[in-house]
Amino acid sequence: MISAFEAVLFAFVLTTAVATALLRDILAVIVVFAAYSLGMALFYAFLLAPDVAMTEAAIGAGVTTLLLLLALVKTSRPDLETRFERPNVSALVVFGALFLVLASTLSEFPAVGSAEAPIWDNPAVTQYYIENAYADTHVENAVTAVLAGYRGFDTFGEAVVVFAAGIATLTVLHREVFTRE
Amino acid sequence: MSSADGGPLGDAGSTYIESQIIMVTVRVIAPFAFTYGLFLMFHGSGSPGGSFQGGAIIGATVLMIAFAFGIEPTRDWIRNRTVVALAAGGVTAFALVGLVPILLGGNFLEYERYKTELGIEAKYGLEAIEIAGVAPIVAGVIVGLFFLLAAGAMQVSVSEEVSSDE
Repeated sequence: MISAFEAVLFAFVLTTAVATALLRDILAVIVVFAAYSLGMALFYAFLLAPDVAMTEAAIGAGVTTLLLLLALVKTSRPDLETRFERPNVSALVVFGALFLVLASTLSEFPAVGSAEAPIWDNPAVTQYYIENAYADTHVENAVTAVLAGYRGFDTFGEAVVVFAAGIATLTVLHREVFTRE
Repeated sequence: MSSADGGPLGDAGSTYIESQIIMVTVRVIAPFAFTYGLFLMFHGSGSPGGSFQGGAIIGATVLMIAFAFGIEPTRDWIRNRTVVALAAGGVTAFALVGLVPILLGGNFLEYERYKTELGIEAKYGLEAIEIAGVAPIVAGVIVGLFFLLAAGAMQVSVSEEVSSDE
């Protein structure tokens, strides 16, 4: 059974998601999208995933919103007669079909925190990390042990991808410095 | 360089509107956000969060200050060499921590070699790539992307474009 807090949060995330899709004014979309990200961050915190929640709050709600606002400043913002987009009927039909397919799998999901969930009841991966992470790395946060220890090479690749994103932006914008010499 | 002269770094500052409410709010929040980012970065091995989140929050603090006090003054304050040192230095530090075990006869990022050859606990290897590697890269690239997008694309003359294509 879901708590009142979960129900309110769910309604908030759903409302902001639909508003992001339907609003016509881009500035309004950016603001509502930031609210959606904040709602999702609360959701992740509630589902005991604080690492994901922090990332969603900092990157999703914070940095992405500012980058989108900067992009908006660089473009024009037309005066609109209507507040909401008129939904495309064929797109709605496709969306409805996809929603039904995804919703039909919901009943098969394990309960939140269930000990029988495949992601948890998994001796080769999850249970191995939980049992051996501290002995192997002497790091208390198992997520850090996996990211920096067991999957350190992958993390190196990801860090280089982030670095490459910065360099690629320099190239695309024909610039040689990030800020000033 | 001020934004008014329309120099090569664009006119992002022209849309800046000074707001007492935003400036006071950011002035109060920024030290706490920055400290929290540092805490996540340095304490990622013992509590939730870690270098990616810490670096992102540190980067977001700079964005917050730029948002409140104007992009152009903040751009003057954060030098290009700082951003480059963070991003490139992070990749270099991560690679070095990974390569030293190879010199000691092990594999890439094999922290156990630090323990057996140099007497350094393996967990300091993990913390080194978290603190000196991932966090500076993320913070540097977030700040760099923000100022780059604020400045916009450098105008490239048509003749230059044609000659570079040939």
